[in-house]
Amino acid sequence: MSHTFPELVIGGVLLAPFVTYLAMALVVIIVLRPLLHVVGFAKMFSHAPIAELSLYVTVLGLLMLLF
Amino acid sequence: MVATTAEQPFTVAKIPVSSWSFAIRVWLATILALFVSFWLQLEAPTTSALTVAILAEPTRGQTLDKAAFRLLATVIGVTASIAITGVFSQARDLILAAFAVWLGICVFAAKLLDGYRAYAAVLSGYTVGLIAVQQIDHPQHVFESGMARGAAITVGILSIAVVNTLIFPSDRQPGMLAQLATIHRRVREYASAASHREPANSAAFLTLLREIVALRPAIASVALESSSGSVRSAAARSAAVALVAELQAARLKDDLEKEASGWAARELQRRDAEVRQDLAALRSARWPLRVWRAPLHRSYRTAAESGIRAAAWVAIASMFYIWAGWPAASFSLSFVALVTGLGATTPNPRGFTAIGLVGTPVAAVLAGILEFIVLNGADAFPLLAVGLAPFAIGAALLLSSRNFLWSGFGRFNLTLIMVLLAPSNPQTYNPQNFLVTTLLLVVAAALLLAAQTLIPPVSDEKRRMQLLADARGELLKHGHAKGEALEEAMFRDASRIEQFLAAGGAQDGRALAEMLSWFDQSTTLRLCDAKLMEFTDGPLASLADEARAAIVARDASTLRAVASRFRELAPQTDSMEADVAACLVLTSDIVDAGRGDDPSRKTA
Repeated sequence: MSHTFPELVIGGVLLAPFVTYLAMALVVIIVLRPLLHVVGFAKMFSHAPIAELSLYVTVLGLLMLLF
Repeated sequence: MVATTAEQPFTVAKIPVSSWSFAIRVWLATILALFVSFWLQLEAPTTSALTVAILAEPTRGQTLDKAAFRLLATVIGVTASIAITGVFSQARDLILAAFAVWLGICVFAAKLLDGYRAYAAVLSGYTVGLIAVQQIDHPQHVFESGMARGAAITVGILSIAVVNTLIFPSDRQPGMLAQLATIHRRVREYASAASHREPANSAAFLTLLREIVALRPAIASVALESSSGSVRSAAARSAAVALVAELQAARLKDDLEKEASGWAARELQRRDAEVRQDLAALRSARWPLRVWRAPLHRSYRTAAESGIRAAAWVAIASMFYIWAGWPAASFSLSFVALVTGLGATTPNPRGFTAIGLVGTPVAAVLAGILEFIVLNGADAFPLLAVGLAPFAIGAALLLSSRNFLWSGFGRFNLTLIMVLLAPSNPQTYNPQNFLVTTLLLVVAAALLLAAQTLIPPVSDEKRRMQLLADARGELLKHGHAKGEALEEAMFRDASRIEQFLAAGGAQDGRALAEMLSWFDQSTTLRLCDAKLMEFTDGPLASLADEARAAIVARDASTLRAVASRFRELAPQTDSMEADVAACLVLTSDIVDAGRGDDPSRKTA
């Protein structure tokens, strides 16, 4: 089964689907941030920034897989 | 309490390891940005390398903060470019006039902001120079050029964000905690010092105040560092605001007659407890009990004057270029706009231009060595990466220096070397082009310096006078912004003093004393007002109203009379009534002192 990636069109300008996914993943991470703070995500890891980058990449991958 | 030890940092070649790691991160991010731009065949790979150079900040939070503002400002700038080109198509002179006005507006906005917000404001201004003005003869390319710039900036931001995350990530937050804890310790030392009216102690007060207010932009940067960043940032901001309140309580403490000193000591203890709670919240990433904003004093008049001057400088430069009729003058003009804009975010715009004038030839020599001696026709990417290493790392090491001049020089070199080398795929090696570009940059800096000599920037003295007038006006109106807490208003006043000191206020002893007197008065009046508000609905409402009217009228004798009536009604010495009485006595003292300090005041 082939997956088609819809292009985002803003005022006649075509944006690459990957850019849309990058932005969506960023939105998801921003929405998740308060939750991550509540569960103490930053305290679970010795290198929290790397863990958060990995989370971003995971969300990005999931978005591309599912939508 | 947090124990801070003065450890000697590990050094290599007398340079701390943190600076080396920063410099290497900058170099790697530059290489990554260039590689991705070449791979994606972007039209403006230089811009992505330039973005890395501009976002080279020592900590991750600062980089991300600046990156977010750079992206936002680019969107605003590109939109403005399209609008200006669209409205004034076929009319070159009008485009230039509109550009000068737009830059003036952006400088005005920058003067009302601080930190990376101010940078974003001026970037929105000179982006128009880089896009609309550079494409002035090809308006149909404005949109494409804007898109190319946006894409390159995004690649640059992603590169430095990834490199900063993966390699030796350094966070601002631990340093921030240590800094706040140290300042807290020093504020307590200041509070326990014998007399605050001695000159040495007054200097200590000003130093502490400046240091606290100077943390404001860095506190905002902490928010982006991790998922707990926004909580820590709120805690740090509240701690800074509470520190200003504690510092002021300490200052007022020994000003008092005996009867009020007990109250002032309690006030100081309460403030100290608040700071400690906020620092504990910062340490354990919890929300502070009260989330305070840290408002900034905005001097609209000074900002408007700076904006008008910036517009005039760009207009003068435009007229010169139109008169000279050189080809490629638009490039030079956009550099004029860039230096004007960035200069507006520094305390001394003309000094910044002078550094530019000296720094440009030095950067040109370095870029020339890199392009025509080191690389000299090479077209392989690894050679570019290796060739760039000493220049990028050297400039970044200079940038991380504590000395303001060296650090500015490093930033200038890091960015200008990229501009002059203009990495592209395939790389062109054209000595004539290189010389013309260098010449245009030097001419731009010289022209701007000439324009700034003709119409000098707003002088320090004028800024100080304006700040004094602002302080006086605000106190006489006796009001603060709606919904602004007492502590927030105090922080805003502190930021005004900081701006006053930044404008060379320390040398002007008389004006400084007046400024501090306004600060004491407004703080005490607000404090008293807040205390009196607590009686609004009680049996003492009429007495409270009388006191408030006396405060507005600056009537010291009525204030003392009301205070003594409050004291008679007080059930015990630490009751609310006794506190208000003490506060009113303090206010009457300060009203008297204010009159004594400043004979020019006739309104009271």
